[in-house]
Amino acid sequence: MSVPEKYKLKCDISIPERYKHHVLTNAEKPNIPACNVKTIPGDMTERGCAFAGSRGVVGGPIGDCIQIIHSPAGCAWYQWGTRRNLSAVYAWAGQDTLCNDSHNRRRAITTDLQEKDVVFGGMEKLEKTCFEAWRLIPGAAGILIYTTCTSGLIGDDCYSVARRVEKKIGRPVFVIDAPGFSGVSQSTGHHHFNVQFYDQMLEYRKKCPEVCMKKDEMGPYDIAIIGEFNMDWDLVYIKPLFEKLGCRIVSVFTGGERMENLLKIPDVKLNVLHCQRSCTYISKLIKEGFQVPYIDASFFGIEQTASALRGVADFFGSQKMKEKAEQIIEEEIRCITPAIDFYREKLTGKKVGMYVGGPRVWHWQRVMKELGMEVVFSMCTFAHEDDYEKINARSKNGLFVVDNPNEFEIEECLEKFKPDLFLTGLKEKYLCRKLGVPTVNSHSYEKGPYACFRGMVNFARDIYQGVYAPVWKFVNL
Amino acid sequence: MRKIGIYGKGGIGKSTTTQNMAAAMAVSFKKKVMIHGCDPKADATRMIMGGMSQATVLDTLREFGKENVTLDKVVSEGFAGVRGVESGGPEPGVGCAGRGIITAIDLMEELGGYPDDLEFLFYDVLGDVVCGGFAMPMRQGKAQEIYIVTSGEMMAIYAANNISKGLTKYANRSGIRLGGIICNSRNVDRERELIEEFCDRIGTQMIYFVPRDNMVQKAEFNKKTVMEYNSDCNQAQEYENLAQRIIENENFVIPEPIMKMDDLEQLVVKYGID
Repeated sequence: MSVPEKYKLKCDISIPERYKHHVLTNAEKPNIPACNVKTIPGDMTERGCAFAGSRGVVGGPIGDCIQIIHSPAGCAWYQWGTRRNLSAVYAWAGQDTLCNDSHNRRRAITTDLQEKDVVFGGMEKLEKTCFEAWRLIPGAAGILIYTTCTSGLIGDDCYSVARRVEKKIGRPVFVIDAPGFSGVSQSTGHHHFNVQFYDQMLEYRKKCPEVCMKKDEMGPYDIAIIGEFNMDWDLVYIKPLFEKLGCRIVSVFTGGERMENLLKIPDVKLNVLHCQRSCTYISKLIKEGFQVPYIDASFFGIEQTASALRGVADFFGSQKMKEKAEQIIEEEIRCITPAIDFYREKLTGKKVGMYVGGPRVWHWQRVMKELGMEVVFSMCTFAHEDDYEKINARSKNGLFVVDNPNEFEIEECLEKFKPDLFLTGLKEKYLCRKLGVPTVNSHSYEKGPYACFRGMVNFARDIYQGVYAPVWKFVNL
Repeated sequence: MRKIGIYGKGGIGKSTTTQNMAAAMAVSFKKKVMIHGCDPKADATRMIMGGMSQATVLDTLREFGKENVTLDKVVSEGFAGVRGVESGGPEPGVGCAGRGIITAIDLMEELGGYPDDLEFLFYDVLGDVVCGGFAMPMRQGKAQEIYIVTSGEMMAIYAANNISKGLTKYANRSGIRLGGIICNSRNVDRERELIEEFCDRIGTQMIYFVPRDNMVQKAEFNKKTVMEYNSDCNQAQEYENLAQRIIENENFVIPEPIMKMDDLEQLVVKYGID
């Protein structure tokens, strides 16, 4: 399944194992690169660790919980500032009232483990930290404790600490045990968070049934949006669409969400799953445990957002809702068409390279098509086989795909395929600048939101501004 | 300075043998000796110090911070000028005792806790070598020779064999060698022959056979080594002989541990069943 000679990257001559991670797509007979396997020596991978996946991606956006990292202070860097969007301050509560605490990326709390804590165990310190944080932030809706390599290795029994703290503070205290070494990439951390959060949610709902949604509060069109992390306030565009459709969004897992709503996810009628890499796990668990079905959806681009709305309407089966969906889609498209037409005209025929964590690569393939752009290569940091199947299915045959690329491979691909734009993260930006390739921050966006119809206008604008920035006239002279 | 690691199955008498031998070295051969106890229980210098009053390195670090650990806080001098230091460590079931040993030894070296005029330094390490931390004394620049304490009981021999396996891992890198097996007799049938054959099989020597004597327990109850409690008794002479054997020892090898459990069992059964 190796790629033809002209696609062999020169930078990998000394680590030929990397060639297993390179494929050309085929829609009929998908070519899957080696993926979700451990990084080999010599490959300066850009992957994160399992802890980064659990805390930085899935757990991080939860709004109103104290999040404690049981680690040396260095690991706690991942707690804050990693995304621009902070959790929303709820409009119905004043700044200082108890129920309005929103902590997402505003506060960094760590046990700051020292040598002596490693030797003697860090449980006492963890308990002390929990109570100290609780004293400082009494309005918090619960506590999430994350273990790291250090606490995972010495085997601190964080669960027993959590139970003790829970008893005293009367709020849920959950432990997410995803030490950095527990997997090959951040993807393992997503998985751990899903499974462990589900288990502890179940336990808590049994222990305190009052947190479940009451029968008479349940609505016929209750949904939860799973795998949406409110990147650059994406939810501002996502929520109204489904509300107009007649749904009630009970909970979002986990973008800016409050603990009380997270505990109610099993009480909805349907889960709408956006990020199908990081959150399929919990969707499946809820389906098995509570018979709540889920549907795959994507909120990026015109066609995919429309099909997400239609999918939800079809699920509920009401004619009225189906009509409403068509009406919303028509309205939204009418609103954005003038802008999109302008950008499409400017961007048609432009070549784009893509490098994101996993699913966004296939989410955005359709979006690029809608803007008339041609994807010339794709890369994923931690995608699994099912992501690559989708990439195969959605690409023109022969698209060059790289799993878990390193900086040299990125550089060579930029030179080889000469894209007019590279959709990538922050850390690759500077390399691209030097090569004269514009980028759009594809992890936390430039000036989002990018989701849904209106978000697509922002996305198109940022791409347009990137590609047409006058500065590029002065490079490569 | 000869740096010596004492290993062996838990409860086999490592600390007892080490202290009695150290006392004999100091009294009968006028050697400058120090014992570094690498067991969280911190009882490796109890008989030398006449009780467990010593502050451990890790407790001091925990209480006062690393920068406040000084030699006068953690190193004491006991019977016959034998010096002692205890690593200490966590309660069973919490934290990381292995890391504790690494921390304590590093700190002692940093502080210059093993003075240059020392002739013998004993690292008394707990039970099985369960993780890298407990192998710390075997690493580069730490102990150069190892003695394994065992008896004729199967599990003790099994542990001795395992420790030899651990030792071979470090032997080429750090130059550490096995100096011999000390048999601390439990009066098992044909114990001496069994241990001698075991030593033969793994390519080392039985450096001494310490007979069982109630005097050891009596002295221990009185928080004393045999040498201090009753220097005229036979057992004092035995420890003196052991000390002399170790002082004069020139037989240092990389052992060839028995790799098959079956072989090991057959060996024990051969002598155990008449």
